Amino acid sequence: MKKKILTAMCCMLTVAALAGCGAAKEDAADSAAAEKAPTIDISDATLLSDGVLNVGCEVGYPPFEDFADDGKTPVGFDIDIITAVADKLGLEVNIINTAWDGIFAGIGVNYDVACSAVTITPERQETMIFSDPYINNYQAVVLMADDDKQISSFNDLNGMSIALQKETTSDILMSDYKSTGTIDVQIVANEKITSCFTQLQNGEVDAVVVDSTVADGYINSSDDFKIAYKDEAEAEQFGIAIGKENTGLQTAINQALKELEEEGYIKETYDYWFGAAAE
Amino acid sequence: MNDFSLKKYPKQIITAAVILLIVVVLAILKPGEQELLSRTSPEMQKLIEADQHSSRKRVTVTYNSLLVINYASLSTSGAKEMSEKYVGFLGNVYPADEGPAKIAGQMVNYTYRMLGVKENLMHGAKLTILLTTLTVVFGILLGTLLALGKISKRKILSKLSGAYIFFFRGTPLLIQMFVVYFTVPGIFGFAWRDLFNASDAEAVYKGAFLAALIAFSLNSGAYCAEIVRSAIQSIDKGQFEASKALGMNYAQTMSRIIIPQSIRRMIPNVSNEFIMILKDASLVFAISLMDITTISKNIMTSEGSYLVFIPALVIYLVITAFFGFIFDKIEKKFSVYE
Repeated sequence: MKKKILTAMCCMLTVAALAGCGAAKEDAADSAAAEKAPTIDISDATLLSDGVLNVGCEVGYPPFEDFADDGKTPVGFDIDIITAVADKLGLEVNIINTAWDGIFAGIGVNYDVACSAVTITPERQETMIFSDPYINNYQAVVLMADDDKQISSFNDLNGMSIALQKETTSDILMSDYKSTGTIDVQIVANEKITSCFTQLQNGEVDAVVVDSTVADGYINSSDDFKIAYKDEAEAEQFGIAIGKENTGLQTAINQALKELEEEGYIKETYDYWFGAAAE
Repeated sequence: MNDFSLKKYPKQIITAAVILLIVVVLAILKPGEQELLSRTSPEMQKLIEADQHSSRKRVTVTYNSLLVINYASLSTSGAKEMSEKYVGFLGNVYPADEGPAKIAGQMVNYTYRMLGVKENLMHGAKLTILLTTLTVVFGILLGTLLALGKISKRKILSKLSGAYIFFFRGTPLLIQMFVVYFTVPGIFGFAWRDLFNASDAEAVYKGAFLAALIAFSLNSGAYCAEIVRSAIQSIDKGQFEASKALGMNYAQTMSRIIIPQSIRRMIPNVSNEFIMILKDASLVFAISLMDITTISKNIMTSEGSYLVFIPALVIYLVITAFFGFIFDKIEKKFSVYE
């Protein structure tokens, strides 16, 4: 008997929940779209659909790309950059949310470019081409603000406990230092970068090794932390990945990025997402 | 559904009616969208104003209404995040920046996103239900053919069906899905997306859904084949002999005598298979589709809120309970043959 009531209730709730929900707020059409004055020639570029730049993006890597509170509007640094680039080319942007696995297989098939915090590496350059880098990322060491230790290279982390995010560049780098015996360091690898900063704050670890872009975001939102060292010798550069044959599009995107750089748009967007303290 | 009559279950009907009434009353008393959004602070209003003159959207306005309660938020992302959240319930609007109102607001927002309200069919709970249901239907059809093939006296047919079942049960579904989605179009030179209208922004997701459905159905077919085969072979041999004595041929025996009886024996296993697929449906994250699990993981990455998994579990349980109920009914219906 009881089971029946429960089932009936469940059915009712499902049906009601699926059917009876109110309207979501529709974003008003972009009023500025009409003012677009494309200045860059894209006649050499190959696009999957006319007038649209289809962009593959793994939405879920804040602050580069993330869904806003409504669960469907992509926002973030990459989104701003690629939207501005498309504006320059006189194209509409269509962001296609993609899993990171296979994101490169989709270039030229499901979307024209991938703009998703993609690091430019020699391996990747064999199968695709990249735009000029639009952001530089370094490995950085973050300490508590009141810590007066001097860090002038990763070697100074000798004897410390550090937290970092699993399977990131930071992880690979520090594991290298440790496994080669260069320094003696205790590595605490976390699933989430947020856990690393909590550990640092709680005194569980002495330092956090992390992407400088992410560190900038944290420094900006809290006075507790400071960047003690940034490995500026080895920059990781993020670029927009483009299909190998599509050099026409590459040229156009590079031109757009150059203009955006000159207009100060990239700096301004960087400040907005990562905080003005950076760079 | 005979046993749902008023005479037999007066209590249930009354309980359902009372619950429905309460829900309707609460839904009517819930404040409207305008009421929630009118609470917006002047600073936020200014930002919204600024947005209208800029090509760059900074403020995201969210409004979720879920039966008896609704939630609105205005938020900017970025390094200096600003957000204002309100929950409307029973004629009142509560600021949802902390305390119980915050949790209630989060729950509404998360549930709303995972159900995929106002989204297309390839999103959230709708995707999960659609994919699972279609997979089971195609799986059973394919499985029946394979089972008949496997028990067939023709050696080649039997071997081929056996090989198919061996292959699809012996390899992981995730890899099968990758093969269907990435490898097959690569070899044959087509794109899943091109099967749909190219000007449709959703074409990519439709293509991915089709690929997922094909992979899931092919895989489920192999499992269903074994379910159907074991059900058919569990029917007493005497039935075959009796049919033969009555002058029926193989096709007639199968379609009129054996399969109708075996359906009842299949149901518990098919129900099991259904629940397995329901949970396996979360694998579609790998080809860019957003099901319940993917959305909940996504929310956790961006907000760091572990609460998101509670509504996710509830949604799964409600779906399972609903379909469990339906399978129960079907099983009862086919029990008349026993």
